[in-house]
Amino acid sequence: MKAIYIVPGGAEVAVDVPANTSLMRAAVSNGVDGIIGDCGGAASCATCHVFVDPAFLGLLPAPGWNEGQILDCTAADRQANSRLACQILMTEALDGIRVTIADPQL
Amino acid sequence: MLDAATGRTPPVLAGIDPYDTATVIDPYPFHAALRDLAPVVLLKDYNVYAVGRHAEIQQILDNWQDFSSASGVGIQDIRRPGKFRIPSRLVEADPPGHTEVRAAVTKILSPRLIRSWRDLFEREAAARVGEMLDRREFDAMEHLIEPYVLKVFSTAVGVDLPRENVIAIGEMRFNQTGPDNVLYRGAMERAEPYLDWYEHSVDRVGVLPGSIAEQIYVAEDRGEIEAGVAKSLVRTLVGGGTDSTIAGLGACFHHLARSPGQMALAVADPMLMRTALDEGIRMESPFQVIYRTPNRDVDFAGFTLEKDRKLGLWLGAGNRDPRKWDNPDMFDLRRNPAGVHVAFGTGMHVCIGQMIARLESECLLTEFARRVKTVEPAGESLPRPMNQMRQLRSIPLRVTPQ
Repeated sequence: MKAIYIVPGGAEVAVDVPANTSLMRAAVSNGVDGIIGDCGGAASCATCHVFVDPAFLGLLPAPGWNEGQILDCTAADRQANSRLACQILMTEALDGIRVTIADPQL
Repeated sequence: MLDAATGRTPPVLAGIDPYDTATVIDPYPFHAALRDLAPVVLLKDYNVYAVGRHAEIQQILDNWQDFSSASGVGIQDIRRPGKFRIPSRLVEADPPGHTEVRAAVTKILSPRLIRSWRDLFEREAAARVGEMLDRREFDAMEHLIEPYVLKVFSTAVGVDLPRENVIAIGEMRFNQTGPDNVLYRGAMERAEPYLDWYEHSVDRVGVLPGSIAEQIYVAEDRGEIEAGVAKSLVRTLVGGGTDSTIAGLGACFHHLARSPGQMALAVADPMLMRTALDEGIRMESPFQVIYRTPNRDVDFAGFTLEKDRKLGLWLGAGNRDPRKWDNPDMFDLRRNPAGVHVAFGTGMHVCIGQMIARLESECLLTEFARRVKTVEPAGESLPRPMNQMRQLRSIPLRVTPQ
């Protein structure tokens, strides 16, 4: 399954993401620019902030309490389609998901 | 008082007292018995429930609606007469009161602020590790971890943290959350000379400009935090972030010295140390147990849990639950358990300072892996037994330089 990241500057990067792997982890392992993932995937640092393509947004489970609160503390302003990439786990339904990496993350 | 829906009572775990000093020092047989008997058990002597499996711990932490924090995260119900202690507005509170306070502190502890301390933490780590290399043999607690954490965390949080005082008060606080036993009484006695210091330790007059503590007091001035709450928040952050980080780093050094293969991996790739703290606290969770309280009779995992009967979540047991982890008893730097282990808690009360602890750990341990070739025990590690917290008192080590 693939995820497509639109990195700061506008380039598109497609990455293979195994099922149940987070989009944060996949981005960091593949050296995708702009995702930091300081906390390692605990929804606690707001440095894997992405804007999810509206076509896929409805397929995601709603943000948990922590993610909701952390999203209010992102460096780039929160939008309606803001999510933390560490909380998006790849599934078959999400194959091809497009996310724009927020800039800045810090 | 059983709910008609199931009415089943959790089985009694008999024959093991988790708060007995020997069990506190070696909790693993208790953890295994707890996990294996049932998803929820009853500890009759204490009249509380206990949970040791990872999945159920996570479910309860995520369910604040049914499982409240407001009656305290220790074994006593702090709402009961005679048991009252002033609840932490951050830790021992439920929505809606908790939400605004948590949001204000989350904003202050931004990734940008935390990153601004990196230079300081790295400098201090370099100095400490250099000193250990000169010594070759040292106590990782007394000579390395305690001085390092007390220096860098006190600068970040903005509060003076003298070693003897911190240790005595930490022992008091992390025994007070357990039963009134020999550990508790000993710690209370040793803390007595430091109580006056503790009372004033987070007063506004003493806090450093630019620090977390100062920003919390300023947020109170601005009305972003309810009047009168700032001091309690600073106390919670200091108390939550000092002893636990020391304990977590202790677990890392204890296990590194006993896992030569893991140390060799880290020497080859010091960046592996970035997540070492998460693995260290999975292995030896500093907060071994935290309590919740059912708000009503709750059906859970096939049992009915009675309203107001406290429920201990044994985080240390969940973090070694073989239902969740492969080779749970192995210290494995490649495991990457962040976001999965429950040592920081999970849900709305998840450790708010975890990024500070991670930065402290990353700076110290990557420096260690860059400059040390081998590390081995120079004696047995010794425990500092506490009812709630798992922490070593002494970790004698011997190192060789690269």
